[in-house]
Amino acid sequence: MIDPKKITLAEWDARYDDLVATGLQEADYGGRLTRHLTDGDFRLGTLQFDNSPASLRLWNFLLTEEDRLHEAKENGMHIVGTMKDLGTLPVMAYSLPNTVAFYPDGAWWIPCVMEMSAGLLRIADELGIDESFCPVRAMLGAFVTEAHFPLPDQLFCSVGATCDDFSAIAQRLNGLGHEIFWWEIPHRRVPSPNEETVELPNGKVVVSSQVEFVKDELIRVKRSLEEGAGAQLREEDLRGGIRIANLIRAELRKLRSRVFKAPVCPLPALELLIAEMLAIHFCSDRDECLTVLRELNAEVEARIGAGRGVLPEDAVKVYWVNPMADLKAMNLLEAYNCRLCGTDFMFCHALDQISEEMEPMEALACAALADPMVGACADRAGRICENIREFGAEAVVISKIPGASHCAFEGQVIGGIIEKQLKLPVIELEIPPLSDSFSASIGTRLEALTEAALQRRNQ
Amino acid sequence: MIYAGIDAGSRAIKIVLIDGESKEIVASSCYPQSIKPGEKATALFKELIAENNIDADDVGGTVATGYGRNMVDVANTTITEITCHAAGINHLLPEARTVIEIGGQDSKLLKLETNGSVLDFAMNDRCAAGTGRFLEMVADKLEVKLEELGGLAERSTVPATISSMCVVFAETEIIGLLSTGTPREDIVAGVQSSIASRIVSMAGRKILLPIVFTGGVALVPGMREALEGVLEQPVMIAENPQITGALGAALLAHKRFA
Repeated sequence: MIDPKKITLAEWDARYDDLVATGLQEADYGGRLTRHLTDGDFRLGTLQFDNSPASLRLWNFLLTEEDRLHEAKENGMHIVGTMKDLGTLPVMAYSLPNTVAFYPDGAWWIPCVMEMSAGLLRIADELGIDESFCPVRAMLGAFVTEAHFPLPDQLFCSVGATCDDFSAIAQRLNGLGHEIFWWEIPHRRVPSPNEETVELPNGKVVVSSQVEFVKDELIRVKRSLEEGAGAQLREEDLRGGIRIANLIRAELRKLRSRVFKAPVCPLPALELLIAEMLAIHFCSDRDECLTVLRELNAEVEARIGAGRGVLPEDAVKVYWVNPMADLKAMNLLEAYNCRLCGTDFMFCHALDQISEEMEPMEALACAALADPMVGACADRAGRICENIREFGAEAVVISKIPGASHCAFEGQVIGGIIEKQLKLPVIELEIPPLSDSFSASIGTRLEALTEAALQRRNQ
Repeated sequence: MIYAGIDAGSRAIKIVLIDGESKEIVASSCYPQSIKPGEKATALFKELIAENNIDADDVGGTVATGYGRNMVDVANTTITEITCHAAGINHLLPEARTVIEIGGQDSKLLKLETNGSVLDFAMNDRCAAGTGRFLEMVADKLEVKLEELGGLAERSTVPATISSMCVVFAETEIIGLLSTGTPREDIVAGVQSSIASRIVSMAGRKILLPIVFTGGVALVPGMREALEGVLEQPVMIAENPQITGALGAALLAHKRFA
């Protein structure tokens, strides 16, 4: 094992040569990371990366997703765009033959990764969806230019107790002629004393009728998917799909637990963020997704065994809430002597096991209802507090997404609950798609958070 | 030995020298910021110790804070203004549990432990609408001096409602109010109340008593009263509020280097 450390993209070139010279085995999407820079992913040139072959594979897997989708389209596969549910519909779609699902929502990172050069936000502006909306509006631009993902054969979007911004953006997309199959998810409410209940994978209890309602909605989705794919989704295939999704989720939970609990941080925050994203839609290749996560786990296990890490031993343990529009924020966190020690990137329901005992459509309905966004933010804060206790975080960062309706105020609620239960320092940071001009002020907040946490540690 | 704190803020550079034994302030100064904060802070620091006949070798340690802290070459280390303000206020008013600091370009709210360390904090985000810069813009727009704002606000009978969350739009709103004949007194009172509301909304979950108001804006007449009105709690003003960050930096320099 080579000493773990963070390196620049340019340093990766030399590292890559060394790895190839010593017999690096790569997947067919492998290669130098710098090639993505020439594709227009300019942000990569400003980031710092983990230096392991497992992380190389992770990045290459992520950055070739568009190629895989285009290839799938050319090969006549059925392409499904699933929007907003973050972790439920892809399980169904991948259980169908000849079908690939992806999240157009993921386009929200394109303005960051391509440093605005793709002009997606400008197109969204022209369509009346300006910067008062969440950066996920970049998705509209991606549909207009068709320069990123191929136009899907079918589009699904959940509405109801989800993000208002996203609903507005998806409706605008629908208005542009991209027909969307809407399905509804209700607000997860607390059952009354006499109501029949069901326990969700996240431990929350909901009213049975809500599960029945969501199940009926998902059955509508299933019928539409079957019609689109021209094949029936058999129960045994769906059970198989759930089993594989659970394998991936288990692998990711293992990775998180190892990284967060290790005495010395064995994997940088940026790579962990990317790994977590894989669980929601498998990055358009379910089997490879599992392999990528297993390799990362093996690397992390080896580093922990050797007592080697990528950050100083005294790094402040920080729990991070919400995704950030600029990937560089993860590097910035570590630049101020913090290490990631727990996350809720708003799709933590995609980390939980889907029941393999329940009837599969009911199991998926329960998984969908466990989405943190469809419940009270106090529920979400409760899970975050449990995680903080488990992983021993010393401070909390709540990332605010510019314009996003679902996190406009919940940061204060979540922060208040953390403060009350755990008395930890909490800061809220707004991170735009390109945060360079704010890095000094973001840095001051992170540095102050570190100082406050270290004062507490030393007391 | 002498210990120094340099607060290279966005609008002003504040320097405090303390005696290491008594912790008393030996000298302090406050100058407008320049486009080269590091060079200016270093020059002013050298000037201040020379004026007070202090040899550079008698300075046991220097801590720089404020947005330009990393550019101050003469400092031995840097500490954020959050920690420095907490240390400064704890020295002056040990009972303080909430600190509101409004500076030129940002505002902060700190919650302190009983021993003066930072329990939690919040800062304004990208907009200057809750800061000293906002008040300067208002004074300029109303053609009055900054120090006259408090007197004007006192004479207000019906404070205007300033609804904007953004300094640019608030300016438009003020122009609109002037064009409809709203008295300047009411506009000033409305602006001060608006700033106070923004600070309190930023605080959200973070108000503990007693509350201390510090930073350059604490010198602007009427702002304390505006904060008290919104908070419905008494608010103390720290002595020499514009230098509490630099004082905290000097105290932390002593703690670290003595």
